[in-house]
Amino acid sequence: MADIQVKSELAGKVWKIETKTGQALAEEDAIMILESMKMEIPVLAPRSGTLKDILVAEGDSVTEGQALAVLSV
Amino acid sequence: MVAGFGEIDRRPVAVIAADFTTLGASSSRIMGKKTRHVKKIAAEHGLPVVFLGECSGGRIPDLMGSDGIGAAGEGSFYNRARETPWVSAILGQSYGGSTWYAMMSDLVIMRKGAIMAVASPNVTSVATTESVDLEELGGWRMQSEVTGQCDVAVDADLDALKSVARFLSYLPSHAGEAPPRAAVPAGSDEAIANILDIVPESRAKVYDVRKALEVIVDKGSLYYIKERFAKVAVTALARIDGWPIGIIASNPLVKGGALDGDACDKIISFMVLCDSFNVPIVQFADTPGFLVGFEGERRKLPSKIMNYIQALEMTTVPKFAVVMRKSYGQAYLNMGGGKSDALAAWYTADVGFMDPAVGVNVVHGVKQSDDPKRFAQLADELGRANSAYDLAAPYFAQAVIDPRETRGWLKRMLSIHRRRPSGGVGKHRMATWPTKF
Repeated sequence: MADIQVKSELAGKVWKIETKTGQALAEEDAIMILESMKMEIPVLAPRSGTLKDILVAEGDSVTEGQALAVLSV
Repeated sequence: MVAGFGEIDRRPVAVIAADFTTLGASSSRIMGKKTRHVKKIAAEHGLPVVFLGECSGGRIPDLMGSDGIGAAGEGSFYNRARETPWVSAILGQSYGGSTWYAMMSDLVIMRKGAIMAVASPNVTSVATTESVDLEELGGWRMQSEVTGQCDVAVDADLDALKSVARFLSYLPSHAGEAPPRAAVPAGSDEAIANILDIVPESRAKVYDVRKALEVIVDKGSLYYIKERFAKVAVTALARIDGWPIGIIASNPLVKGGALDGDACDKIISFMVLCDSFNVPIVQFADTPGFLVGFEGERRKLPSKIMNYIQALEMTTVPKFAVVMRKSYGQAYLNMGGGKSDALAAWYTADVGFMDPAVGVNVVHGVKQSDDPKRFAQLADELGRANSAYDLAAPYFAQAVIDPRETRGWLKRMLSIHRRRPSGGVGKHRMATWPTKF
C-alpha cells in the first residue's frame, strides 16, 4: 500500500465533499466537487484505493496543484 | 535485431523487432544499417513500419570513441516525413535506439512493466549519482499520465500486437491513399436515441463525453489515444458509417472541459496523425474556454493555443465541428468555429465571447451572491444573442440539430466531403511537424 495525494487540477472553491475517510473508491469515482469556471467539477480518484484523509473543507478556496485528499492504493 | 516484412489483416507491413537475447538488443552499426534499409523500402513502397522495441542502449565498447559516435551520425535516421504510418510497441526495457524510434512513431504502445527512457538505470544512476527506480524513470504510468509519450498501455505482449493491428486498421498503408472503409457493426444507429440521458441539460453539470461519443460512432469503434494524459481533451480514432475519423473532444468531466496546455499538445499531435494519413477530423466542443490562470501562463498556454489553431488551419483533411452545450471565446475558434468544412450546433448550444455569467462579473462587477436578481437579469441580457440559431442566422453554423441527429448529420457530411478530385488524399502540410511535444 502506498499513499498518493489527490491534487486539484484547477483553482476553485470546494463546493461539496461527497466521501468519507475510510471509504473504498474505484478509479474515477468523485471524491468531492469543486466550483470553478461556473461549473461543478468533480475531483476524481486517480486510481482505485481507500480514502485515507480529506485535507480541505466545504467552502475552502483551493489553488491548482493543492493537495485535497490522500488515497491509499 | 530481426527485420523483415509480413502482413497484418492482409496488408503488407515492415517489421523491425528487437531481439533482447542477443547482446541486449544494444544499438550497433549493422543494426542501424538494417533499420535504414527496411525503412527505405517501407517509405518507397508504401508499407507501415512496426517497431517492436527493446534496447539496452548503445553497444559499448563498439560505440566508444570518436569513430563510434561519428559512425552513428552517418545516414538519415531522423527525417520523418510520414510517408507511411509508424507504430512502436515497447515490450521490455527500452533505452536509446528503440526509445528514439518510439518518439518518432505515430503511436507508442507500452506493455505494463516495460520501461522507456533515454538511458538505462545503470547509466542514469552513474551520471546523476542517484539511485533509480525503474517505474519512476520510465514506467507506463509515468509515460502515460505525466509525459503523454505513451499513447496506449496494455497488459500483455499479445495485447500490444493486437493494438498495433487495430491502430493500423484505421489508417491507409501510406499517405497517398485514403483510409480503408470497414463494415458497419449491427446496431450502430440505435444507441444515439439515448444521448439526452447522457448529457445533462444544465451547462453547470458535467458528464463524461466518452459516453456521448460511444453512441455517436459505429459500435465499438473508439480507439483512444493518450487516454490517460491531459484527460480534459479526448483524442480517438473511430468510424462513422465505416469511414475512419479522428475525434477531438473536450471532456466536461475533467476541469469542466476547460482546455489547458497539455490538452493543446495532445490535440496537435493527434491532428498531425490525421492530416498525414487523410483521416477526417471531427471536433466536439463542450467547453467553458481555455483554462486561464497562473499555472497556464507559466506553462506557455498562449503559444500552445496558437500552435493548436495554426495546426488546425494548416490541416487539409475534411474537418467538422459539433458545438454541444457551449463553446466560448478562443476555444470556440480552436474547436472548429469558422475553421471547419461544416459546423453543426445542437439546439441547446450557447456560443459567445465568454460564459454570460462570467461576463456579468467582468462587465458589471456584480456577483451572484451579492445580488441574485440583478445578476440573473444581467446574465440574461448578455446571453441573449448566444443561441445556436443566432450562430446559424449569419451562417457561422451550417446546421442546428437535435443531439439525436448528430450521427446522421456526420454520416451525411462524411459522404459529401470525400475530397473526390484527389481521391481523398490531402496535402499533408502537417506531415513534417515534430511527432512529439
